[in-house]
Amino acid sequence: MRVGFIGLGVMGRPMAGHLLAAGHDLAVWARRPAAAAPLVDAGAVGCATPAAVADRCEVVFTMLTAGSDVEQVVFGRDGLDAGLVVGSIVVDMSSIAPETARSLARRLAARGVDMLDAPVSGGEQGALAASLSIMVGGPKRALDRVRPLFERLATTIVHVGESGAGQVAKVCNQMVMVGTLQAIAEALHFARCAGADAHRVRLALAGGSAASRVLEVMGGKMVERDFVAGVEARLHHKDYAVVLDEAHRRGLPMPVSAQVSQQLNALMAMGLGRCDSAALLRVLEAGSR
Amino acid sequence: MKIGFIGLGIMGRPMALNLLNGGHQLAVWARRAESMQPLLDAGARGAASPAALAGGVDLVISMVADAPDVEQVMLGERGVASAGKAGLVAVDMSTIRPAAARSIAARLLEQGIDFLDAPVSGGEVGAVAGTLSIMVGGSAAAFERARPAFASIGRNIVHVGESGAGQVAKAANQIVTGVGVLTVAEALNFAARSGVDPARVREALLGGFAYSRILENHGQRMLDRDFRPGFKSWMHQKDMNIVMQSAHELGLCLPVSAATAQMYNAMVGSGLGEEDSIAVLKLLERLSGAAS
Repeated sequence: MRVGFIGLGVMGRPMAGHLLAAGHDLAVWARRPAAAAPLVDAGAVGCATPAAVADRCEVVFTMLTAGSDVEQVVFGRDGLDAGLVVGSIVVDMSSIAPETARSLARRLAARGVDMLDAPVSGGEQGALAASLSIMVGGPKRALDRVRPLFERLATTIVHVGESGAGQVAKVCNQMVMVGTLQAIAEALHFARCAGADAHRVRLALAGGSAASRVLEVMGGKMVERDFVAGVEARLHHKDYAVVLDEAHRRGLPMPVSAQVSQQLNALMAMGLGRCDSAALLRVLEAGSR
Repeated sequence: MKIGFIGLGIMGRPMALNLLNGGHQLAVWARRAESMQPLLDAGARGAASPAALAGGVDLVISMVADAPDVEQVMLGERGVASAGKAGLVAVDMSTIRPAAARSIAARLLEQGIDFLDAPVSGGEVGAVAGTLSIMVGGSAAAFERARPAFASIGRNIVHVGESGAGQVAKAANQIVTGVGVLTVAEALNFAARSGVDPARVREALLGGFAYSRILENHGQRMLDRDFRPGFKSWMHQKDMNIVMQSAHELGLCLPVSAATAQMYNAMVGSGLGEEDSIAVLKLLERLSGAAS
């Protein structure tokens, strides 16, 4: 299949690599040409603009940071919009606000292009190992066409619902994951301050009802005091702006998420945005003796 | 002074009337033409657009709902800036994000227009009585030129600092009042559910360090179960959202404001948005097992 990939950062690069390795005809574009170089060396076609990518591909993936980046790549100058044809499919795998995803899908549908919002969970590890979870919103007919490509990237693919539903699921994912992370940071910090060995407490918890993937991975990083990212905390900070905005727009109380967002704000202020979110532990330490 | 006024809602209408009563020559514009009528009857001149309004005055004041509305009337098609009147002073008295106010100020300055952000506190009662508190951000020169207009609609008029400083003060005001109303409601609900007369508790607290104007006024209205607005919950919800967005942009930890914002979300979501913010007492009662 002729596949395009835009956004070749920590996540996008290995994902695009998997599609290329599967034998697809891959075209790429990145804001910084250097980011595209490893893929071009491996046989992908480097394009000068997003429009040029769209022009030669049936399916175009985007993996970017913010909603405004996606809007820019799709509808900005020399954007995908200029190259898409009726029947093309745009698959946005970035984590953006559900409302932005719905608006992009509406505008693309008006010109005969299907869009899927397909954010992922699993981080850089999952991208490298092709073991991501993909949460999909949008028309089933588009997912049916794209599914063979998704299967090269992920072990779990769930069609959550119509446009925006994938992003809603991603917001839920972040609420549960970072909320749990905060709880684990508090528990391990408490354990140490109360005179217990945080490492052993973590092992004890891992065998019972408090067991979770976050306790295993991020809890492990906390006891090792290894704050090198995995997923950079600044990205979770960005995601929590979406969480709080949704709570506000829908008139929903989300008391725990609101508190977590404040801890992430403090983390940013401490200059830890490029660290792993396990550094939420350091925010607690800054407020303790 | 020749003044143009944009936005004639619950707050804007009495403010515009007070400018007329203060002897100023007033021109008005509103999105819905019928909301201009009471001002025209009182002697104001109607304008066909914000641009037409700006053409004939020295000072333009806007009092609208949110930042996009301010951008529209100031910088949009047929907006104030398009009148091309260098030397004009534009004053926005709406409550919007400080960052939005700074951006509007910068773009108006490119057109030679001085901008003041001048949000108010005091509600509809203060607007009618001409006793609003006005928190002003912008240049001292523009502030001095706008002062005669401010004097007709407010009492406590403070030049807080440069552009955006007025909105920062307003956000700080909303933190203190938003949290304060919730605190008083929690205390009175706690007293009542502990089997103690909340009216007497309020009276006891008024004499000590827990005294506040909110305990005095809002506390009394809670005891009277008078939930008519005043200041509607959905407006305070909007203002707390401004606070939380600013905290996100700046990397600030505001745990108490964050909890308060969630309670206002719950008020709007559970149908209390049109009631006064003191209806947070009803929400607390509901969450504490009381039938209400």
